[in-house]
Amino acid sequence: MCWPRWGVTSVTLSKLSFRNAKRQARDYLVYFATVVMAAALLYAFNGLLFSQELRTLSKSMELLPLMLALASAAVVCVFGWLVAYATKFMLLCRGRELGTYLLIGLENRQVSRLFFLENLAVGGCALLLGMALGGLLYQAFRAIALTLFGLPYRFAFVFSLPALGLTAAYFALIYLHALRRSRKYICKAKIHDLIYVEKQNEGVVIQTGKKRRWIFAASIALGVVGTFLLMVGGSLPGIAGAGCLVVFMFGIFLSFASGVPAFFDKRPARKYRGQNLLVFRTLTAKLATMGVLMAVISLIFTATLISEGAGLVFRGLFSGRAAESACFDLYVDMAGDDRDPTPYLDYIQENIPVEQSVLYQVRLSENGQVQDYINSRVLYENDGYEQDPVLRYSDYAALRAIAGYQPVELEEGQYLFHCMAYLEDTLKGYGQPVALNGVTLEPGGVCTGHLAQNSGNGRGYILVVPDEAAEGLPVHHLAYAAQTAQPVSSEAYDGLIAVMDKIWAGTGFGDEITAKAQAEAEVAAQTAITVFPLYYLALALTMTAATILTIQQLSESERYRRQFALLQKLGMSRREMSKALRTQFAIYYALPALPPVLVGAPVLLRLAHAPEPGVMVGLSSPAVIVASSLAVFFLIYAVYILLAYTSLKRSVLPDKL
Amino acid sequence: MLQVQNVEKYYGSKNNVTKALDRVSFDVETGEFLAIMGASGSGKTTLLNCISTIDAISAGKILLDGVSVAELSEAELARFRRERLGFVFQDFNLLDTLTVEENIGLALSLNHEDPETVQGRVRETAGRLGIADVLEKFPYQVSGGQKQRAACARAMVAGQSLLLADEPTGALDSKAAKNLLEIMSAMNCDMGATILMVTHDAYSASYAGRVLFLKDGRVFNELLRREQGRTVFYHQILDVLAALGGDVSDVI
Repeated sequence: MCWPRWGVTSVTLSKLSFRNAKRQARDYLVYFATVVMAAALLYAFNGLLFSQELRTLSKSMELLPLMLALASAAVVCVFGWLVAYATKFMLLCRGRELGTYLLIGLENRQVSRLFFLENLAVGGCALLLGMALGGLLYQAFRAIALTLFGLPYRFAFVFSLPALGLTAAYFALIYLHALRRSRKYICKAKIHDLIYVEKQNEGVVIQTGKKRRWIFAASIALGVVGTFLLMVGGSLPGIAGAGCLVVFMFGIFLSFASGVPAFFDKRPARKYRGQNLLVFRTLTAKLATMGVLMAVISLIFTATLISEGAGLVFRGLFSGRAAESACFDLYVDMAGDDRDPTPYLDYIQENIPVEQSVLYQVRLSENGQVQDYINSRVLYENDGYEQDPVLRYSDYAALRAIAGYQPVELEEGQYLFHCMAYLEDTLKGYGQPVALNGVTLEPGGVCTGHLAQNSGNGRGYILVVPDEAAEGLPVHHLAYAAQTAQPVSSEAYDGLIAVMDKIWAGTGFGDEITAKAQAEAEVAAQTAITVFPLYYLALALTMTAATILTIQQLSESERYRRQFALLQKLGMSRREMSKALRTQFAIYYALPALPPVLVGAPVLLRLAHAPEPGVMVGLSSPAVIVASSLAVFFLIYAVYILLAYTSLKRSVLPDKL
Repeated sequence: MLQVQNVEKYYGSKNNVTKALDRVSFDVETGEFLAIMGASGSGKTTLLNCISTIDAISAGKILLDGVSVAELSEAELARFRRERLGFVFQDFNLLDTLTVEENIGLALSLNHEDPETVQGRVRETAGRLGIADVLEKFPYQVSGGQKQRAACARAMVAGQSLLLADEPTGALDSKAAKNLLEIMSAMNCDMGATILMVTHDAYSASYAGRVLFLKDGRVFNELLRREQGRTVFYHQILDVLAALGGDVSDVI
């Protein structure tokens, strides 16, 4: 191996390197922009990693640096692959030029140094620009984090030396790895190899057309089976389905170049219809040698989609659970039917200023007829409630006042349902009377709104009955809810936990204590430590894969230019050429994105259905999560497609006469 | 069929004008085989590009069947090219991603012909030009002569009325060149194709019925074959080239 050495010709070489670097940044603008964005992302997330301000927002936020460091390790690998791939690609594309340097008398090590300096200059510029952009990006992430915690955001320029150092170290690692490989290549290369590198045949993985056609047909069948299995659900079909789809991805891309022509060969009329011939032949020529790469990109997109979706699922899960359980400023759920609440009440009286409160019992009806009805219609978990839970109307009215809801009237001889939103429609259809203590109550309506119903005030629903109807019913547990003058401090909350620990000492059991302020901070912290790394990774993966696709497409500019010049002579109008280019572009970019949608959407649907019923609703409902993930993914992807299309259209379509 | 009237073509900016064509005028009759000869830089290819509407003229008129090509819109020009003109280039200009059959069929496809009939018409034309057995192959799998015959097939398959050939034998060996010229001659005599061929090769030009000589962008001389044999005509062409003061070495 030879390393760059400064010699007599170093000034000339430096100038040449600098000029080449400028040309590289111009010719591979999309790649350069991605490397700048990579530097920006790395710097911004490193800024979060070293931020004392964010770490002190909550105890759980202490985990954030670790999670970001793990994500950074993955992101560095992803960007490392991108830079290594692009560097090798540029090296091969410029083989003739580098070979000419050797031909005019430069030594291999000098050419290697030229290439090294050139890439170093590009990497250095990208790093500087990226860090400037990263400073702004850091502010955006900081604003998101502070908003999550409900804190005001004020712009403050922060320059983080450790973040800068770490970003530079990551970049050095990425570039040195890529350049070490190209240096090896250049040092060993013969003039002939470099000059004729473009003429070398690229490796074709599956050689025979017949075998490819068979694989093409089998891949499509596997794709259909895999999607079906993923839709069916369950662990085993899910794993088998995902496996089928991975094989489908590799199979379809490896065999595309034979399968599609075979399809058209049998249908000549279709082949010659419109622009089919040009579009499919251009695509198959391109995909013939990049089957494995397309499959890898497809897998990357799948990982991206799942990362983005998982981020949304976690955010929905945490916020959904917190919204339900933290609807009161303070809520204590005391398990058991003969509990003494005195230790808690004494502590609260001494330490937490309360504006209004209620101590009440959740009781059980004589049977589980409502539960049976729900079970027969929707997915439901009773979480230990064998009979329908019951609440006295007076307690319910107090709870509504504490939670900030408008009062609700209960007519004599009637009962109400209070339920989580996902059960509203089901319970509206329940028209049966309920018999308690020998009194029959008619249905009087359904109310919704968060009311600690994820286990405390019933499981998803509770029957609200006249006080006298609830008398004598068995007690399920005792509960306390309060509206406080100020948010419960973390010290006061810790004090309550200490009281609980004392009550249950040595038993391994405990009560459920929820303070709104603590729960919201916990949700914010959990969201930050899961969503930030997942989106960080997703962004890096999308950018990398889209850049590689774009580099590949733009590298064909010269061939496309020649092709369209000929088509112009043959009488193809500019409008038709533009249409053919658009169609070919759309298919080229849709191909690696289609399998991820087929795999990602069912996986995300299952993931979003995994939490207990009633949590993933509204903006966190499974359908919205899948739609949002696809929207985020395609938004970023569309930027690259648009960039590549405008660049290619400008350079390959003939000028207007 | 084709009337070229006082055509001028200038290149360059205000301070640096190059006159590529200088008041060039001639007519081409239907069914005629015309060759245009001249040294490098004499304006042969510029003239061909102007006739084929790839390049715009600076002054004068080009009429094809009475229609002035300069007055056509961009869309009309495209239609004009695909319906009326066929091209044969020195370097074949076949698309390397398409098979020979598809390269020929492309002209029909661009012409919005009925897709059901494309394959049949391609096979019929290929049969007449003796390349039916290589239709399934890609251009890099066939010989130069076969490629050029495929280009001829593409140039005539859609029933184009004027075939424009730019140095069609330039990249062929002598045997393949002779074969191609005989095919072009047959296309002219038997199928009535009108051919306008640009060449600097006297042997190729001797297959034409008339030869125009260009020098410095102007028509320098014109030679008619009439009833003479091809060899006599060939020697007459060489004489004119000698008088032109160049290019003799190109043809020996």
